[in-house]
Amino acid sequence: MGARVDLFTAASTEGAWTVGEVTRRARAVIEAGLPPLWVRGEIAGFKAWRSGHWYFSLRDKSAQMRCVMFAKQNFMLPAPTDGMQVFVFARPSMYEEKGEFQLTVIELLSTEQGGLWKLAFEKAKAALTKDGLLDPAKKRRLPPFPRRIAVVTSPDGAALRDIEAVIGRRWPVAELIVVPAQVQGAKAEGSVCSALNRISRLPVDVLIVARGGGSVEDLWAFNSERVARTVAAMPMPVISAIGHETDVTLCDLVADLRAATPSAAAEAATPDRVEVLAQCGIVGQRLARALRIASRNGVERLDRSGDRLVRCMEQKLEKSGALLMAHSARLDALSPLRVLARGYAVARDTDGHVLKRVAQLPSGREFRLRVTDGEVNGRVQ
Amino acid sequence: MAEFSKQLERLEAIVRRLESEDLDLDEALKLFEEGVERLRVAREQLSQAELKVKKVLEIESPS
Repeated sequence: MGARVDLFTAASTEGAWTVGEVTRRARAVIEAGLPPLWVRGEIAGFKAWRSGHWYFSLRDKSAQMRCVMFAKQNFMLPAPTDGMQVFVFARPSMYEEKGEFQLTVIELLSTEQGGLWKLAFEKAKAALTKDGLLDPAKKRRLPPFPRRIAVVTSPDGAALRDIEAVIGRRWPVAELIVVPAQVQGAKAEGSVCSALNRISRLPVDVLIVARGGGSVEDLWAFNSERVARTVAAMPMPVISAIGHETDVTLCDLVADLRAATPSAAAEAATPDRVEVLAQCGIVGQRLARALRIASRNGVERLDRSGDRLVRCMEQKLEKSGALLMAHSARLDALSPLRVLARGYAVARDTDGHVLKRVAQLPSGREFRLRVTDGEVNGRVQ
Repeated sequence: MAEFSKQLERLEAIVRRLESEDLDLDEALKLFEEGVERLRVAREQLSQAELKVKKVLEIESPS
């Protein structure tokens, strides 16, 4: 038999604990006895509050416990979903106001299909694919000679320095518009989106979104569906250079071109001025040669026309020469001199009038007689 | 510089026309003159020696 309990004493004000005392004591015992530890289980009843805090339960076949993960711990993490098997690193504690045993989660990992990041990435990617934003046919061609190039990146990162150096060397003809953004941390997503929105209203020919390498968490903003959708909606072609070559982000996937590094992005965005000048030189040469050929053709044609003209004139002249000879022959035949040559003579008075009739030649009339080789005087008898 | 690519396109068209077509000398000369002028403008556009960098101030990200 156990010791008898003095019910009266136990229930007295002095002998009983208050609820607060118990929970406070329980909390102290739990926190002292259970240091932060890894726990594995399945997520149930997940809820993200507007404050950013996450509340959920972790359970296995036989038990469950309440968990909280505060916003400052989860802000960069894709939200898990119910049923997901996870590992949490957490501090066991007592939520005194509700008298609940609770885990305050510091880290949350999923081993399912490559982890939470991978899962969230795939989920967002599927949503983007469904909306056709990853369609290769949607990729726009980059302008061959951009005048205004915009860059969204960290204002003091190596990415910006690299981009400036490459564009300054290859295509200083352009104007570079730098719109700084926070590329990591809790505000990165909003900052990148507002920078993009800003550029969408500017007359920009091509946009580079760049960020140097970093951990998955560092690149988180560029895996956000919101950033990806904003990039896809940009009115100008976008080149994305996020992280290292091995990290493909959603931003890379929706962009019109993915570059391995910020420098490669700058190269892709610009032609090389030296090459373009050489091209201009070739065009100039072709122009000069073409003109030379065109003018030679023209001169040849002119020569040909000249020849034809001369030939034509010659023919005309020849023809007229023959005609002239014919005419002169006929003229010759008609000439009175020819008649005289045949033995005819013509009599004229002293004034030169031709005397054709007997009446014109009374007796004693003087006249002149023209014969073929000269003239003689005569008198009618 | 959007005009720059148009400039080059037009130049290319001029050269091709000059090269391929049997043109009047007069027309050929006109095309040539246009080509030379466009080439001059294009080269001038390429002569800007230093990259202009403009920084747009960050606006507060919406909360």
